[in-house]
Amino acid sequence: MSQREVARFEQIVLPHLDDAYTFARYLLRDEHDAQDAVQEAALRALRHVGGYRDGDARAWLLAIVRNCCLTLQHKRRDHEARHPDDAIEMLPSRAPATDARAIRSSDRALLERAVAALPTEFREVIVLREVHDLSYKEISRVTGAPLGTVMSRLARARERLAIALRPTQEAG
Amino acid sequence: MSCTECLELLGPYVDGELTDARRAEVAAHLGGCADCAGRVEMLTGLTQSLREGLVRYPAPDLLEARIRASLEEPRQSSRTTTRASTIARFAVAGVLIAVASSAVTAVAIRHGARDSALEQAVLSSHIRSLMPGHLTDVASNNQHNVKPWFNGRVDLSPTVPLLDSLGFPLIGGRLDYVASHSAAVVVYARRQHLINVYSWPTSRSDAPPSTVSEHGYHLVHWRASGVELWAVSDLGLPELDAFVATFRGAR
Repeated sequence: MSQREVARFEQIVLPHLDDAYTFARYLLRDEHDAQDAVQEAALRALRHVGGYRDGDARAWLLAIVRNCCLTLQHKRRDHEARHPDDAIEMLPSRAPATDARAIRSSDRALLERAVAALPTEFREVIVLREVHDLSYKEISRVTGAPLGTVMSRLARARERLAIALRPTQEAG
Repeated sequence: MSCTECLELLGPYVDGELTDARRAEVAAHLGGCADCAGRVEMLTGLTQSLREGLVRYPAPDLLEARIRASLEEPRQSSRTTTRASTIARFAVAGVLIAVASSAVTAVAIRHGARDSALEQAVLSSHIRSLMPGHLTDVASNNQHNVKPWFNGRVDLSPTVPLLDSLGFPLIGGRLDYVASHSAAVVVYARRQHLINVYSWPTSRSDAPPSTVSEHGYHLVHWRASGVELWAVSDLGLPELDAFVATFRGAR
């Protein structure tokens, strides 16, 4: 690898590390897995940075992160299929609300839980849209899904979230 | 525009993804349709709570360090100075171990917030030191080169016993900064493993060695004669304990 490629990597990839890690956290719902996936994604990005042409570096990196996350997830699923006892879903539990701050943090936990409960193909579009603020075109580039599919998945993800979040909105 | 047609476009409308002409058509429909307008309000509220409520996770320092280490590695491997390449080999092994261990992260240790933060700082420093070029400021297997190097650099004269014959060759020393302490670090090896021994002055009373294990790394901590010491390695615990016993017993 040339100095130039390393310099390009530092310039193109490293500024988006927080985005990469955040996306991996939402996809995998586990901090250790997310770190492994981003580490692997960085290695892949480093190998391919020579072929990267100017464009949207963040979307390019997120697409690589997504692939690494899905690969890791498949490995985990295979493992869980063989060892079903390990397959315990860890989701944040809902804390009882006692004061204003606790209510806000329990809302936050509820949001996180509702998003975590979405199937991956819905969760990724909602996270890319609302957390990373990507346009439909960029989401399409990251997920490899056509624009129409991005749109319908976003709509369905929002339907599900609206239902999951309804009780607090009425109580709020 | 019919409601069915409009409903399809409300997501893109809220997301600002419609052309001006389309946007105007939807806006016109919303002006006269309370149902669709209510739906827009719901979508806007949902988007707003998601944007405000969902956490953005900053990449942990260790992750960035691991990635930067993988950048350094190929550049380092082209060098051929004998001493440097030996160290690079150890360092690369260390980095590979760090990379392979899936859980090398800033994980909270569950006792004593102060000691826990310190353990974390020592462990982070240890992992950083495994990156090529970070391990030693003075590379020497001679204690008479390493020990004097610390003169005037730290507020103590660290113990630098020669443990070659016991299978722990001296690699060198460096200055490090751990949780606001200037630490003298003496580096030993055991096969492909590295051991960092940190020391800095303390006013706290003597304490016998105690061990913390953290995802494949072991940290042995003790205090003796006004010096705080930490030995850190990915070496198996019995071997690290043996090292610490030898180190403490040596002069």
